[in-house]
Amino acid sequence: MDGFIRAIDLKKVYYVGNQKIEAVRGVSLQVERGDFIVILGHSGSGKTTLISMIGGLTRPSSGNVFIEGINLWALGDKELSLFRNKKIGFIFQSFSLLPSLNVLNNVVVPAIFSKKAKKDRKALQSRAHSILSDLNMVDKMNSYPSELSGGEQRRVAIARALINDPDIILADEPTSELDIRTEYEVIEIFQNINEAYKKTIIVVSHTLSWAQKAKKVIVMKDGLIYDNIADPVETLMGGMSKRI
Amino acid sequence: MVTTLLRLAYQNLQVKQLRLYIILTGVSIVIGVLFVSSILIAGIYYSLERGLSKLGADLLVIPKESLVNLKSALLTGEPSTFYMESSVLEKIRSLKGVKKASPQLFLTSATGECCVIGNSFLIGFDPSTDFTIMPWVAKKMGDSFPDDGAIIGGMVPFNLGDRLHFFGVPLTVWGQLERTGIGLYDNAIFFHIKKGYEMSEKSQTDPSIPPLKPLKGKISSVLVQLSVGAKIPFITFSILRSHPELKVVTTGNIQTSVRHTTIAVFFGVIVLIVLLVLSNVLMINAIFSAVVNERKRELGIMRAIGATKNSIFKLIVYESTIVTLLSGLLGMIVGGILLKIFHRTIIFYLKLLNIPFMLPPVEIIAWLALLAITIAFIMGISGSTYPALVALRIDPHEAMKQGL
Repeated sequence: MDGFIRAIDLKKVYYVGNQKIEAVRGVSLQVERGDFIVILGHSGSGKTTLISMIGGLTRPSSGNVFIEGINLWALGDKELSLFRNKKIGFIFQSFSLLPSLNVLNNVVVPAIFSKKAKKDRKALQSRAHSILSDLNMVDKMNSYPSELSGGEQRRVAIARALINDPDIILADEPTSELDIRTEYEVIEIFQNINEAYKKTIIVVSHTLSWAQKAKKVIVMKDGLIYDNIADPVETLMGGMSKRI
Repeated sequence: MVTTLLRLAYQNLQVKQLRLYIILTGVSIVIGVLFVSSILIAGIYYSLERGLSKLGADLLVIPKESLVNLKSALLTGEPSTFYMESSVLEKIRSLKGVKKASPQLFLTSATGECCVIGNSFLIGFDPSTDFTIMPWVAKKMGDSFPDDGAIIGGMVPFNLGDRLHFFGVPLTVWGQLERTGIGLYDNAIFFHIKKGYEMSEKSQTDPSIPPLKPLKGKISSVLVQLSVGAKIPFITFSILRSHPELKVVTTGNIQTSVRHTTIAVFFGVIVLIVLLVLSNVLMINAIFSAVVNERKRELGIMRAIGATKNSIFKLIVYESTIVTLLSGLLGMIVGGILLKIFHRTIIFYLKLLNIPFMLPPVEIIAWLALLAITIAFIMGISGSTYPALVALRIDPHEAMKQGL
């Protein structure tokens, strides 16, 4: 087993008072370089927790995550932060931009923490400009998040995820609260990133729109994954609203 | 990265401007009060140092019961008289370890025939042995001090060449001392000691002149300069053994005593400043705790996209420090302007309290400004350290879920 990303028997247990909650109950997953994987599941199925453990945001109760052979959870906090910064681009749900910064500065924020800002300030600005141009956001470069629509905010978040040229993009419900038209635009962008930028993408979502574009669909339910499935809707036993 | 983080911190501050203004107002008041008070205290100390250093003496020998009067005279320049036998002078001079000894004679209130000078202090000195007055003459007429010459203090309102009459004795203003802030010097008129005896004699014989005590054979004090290596306690002991009716004081004693008086006056101000600083640190702490709490999601996102704990800590502390430094600058500017406007009023009130004051030199004010800015800086750091530590504990995953 020598995948680009390997999650081995990941478990995550929370305690709310005396109540034990098993958010993820022993998930193993292998992702190859260039994959575009969508993890579908209901709210509370454990998909956000899973992607957080894979991305080095939430420490698993047990199990390991290897990215390019590096055991993520064996790294110290500083090394893990720098690893995330360099290797992974995150796209979160709504309101993930920093309100005090304009679009351009929001996009370059990850580079601040990667020491690139000091070295290649001009190159960085130029790269941000280029990415924003690809996403048709150049004319909004000086706008602030509060002045953008939901779709525009997602595009800025996507640009931010790409600024450090990471190998992996992890997206958590990147189309939540968007209308169908904008949702499709965002999905198209992800597909383009996967093909044009050659990024490995893992998206978690509860909408089926993603299933058509992803190279691989995984269904998550009650903290477990269901891989290689013919019909995600069937697997989810009709519990998911099909929005297409 | 530091520059970029500073820029980010600055931009963050502009989001919640009300908080920014609250901290700006609070800290600038504290720093303004601190800056102005420190200038006042430094001015008093500077004035004391400058004035007392002009005594130029290692020891001052005076009658035992006159120390309180001497302190009053030093601070206010109020005429204060006390006398001892002049034979003491020769005995002191003869002691081993005494390099120079010079007498002074203090006369009562300065009533001149030409005019009445409110609080001026008449002091006779011996120009041939003096080492405490002549070196500090700022402006003078000619090189040699004439027998009928007078040296006036920095605040005595006469000009060089003016003719004065005291107790029937004419004097010509020959020189003027620079201002010191010490009443004894600033309000005094110095003249040859033999003119002092002449005034006393004339006042005994001329009924139109206010009477003075018979001063023949008397002096008020002996200023003593010791030889290199001479021990102050040893000389003091030698003087007191033969003259138990005398008191030997060092300039250090006087400074300490006067400092205690000023510290007592400023103690309340110092306590107030300390309390203001502490309350502002608590205010900054409370505001930044709220800031961290509100921005959990934002900080969580920053952690997720690669910010280390160290960067998050720095970001919060930078934000706080930028505000307190700006406040410090603002406080100093406002404090400086107020000090300039109320300079005369402050001197007037300090004078009422018998406290000498002169604005300290620019380099001392610059050091005090640096101290005020440093305190503002420390307030920023100490006020935001705890909230910044709390921010370090933010779990990126949990923080991001807050916005769902």
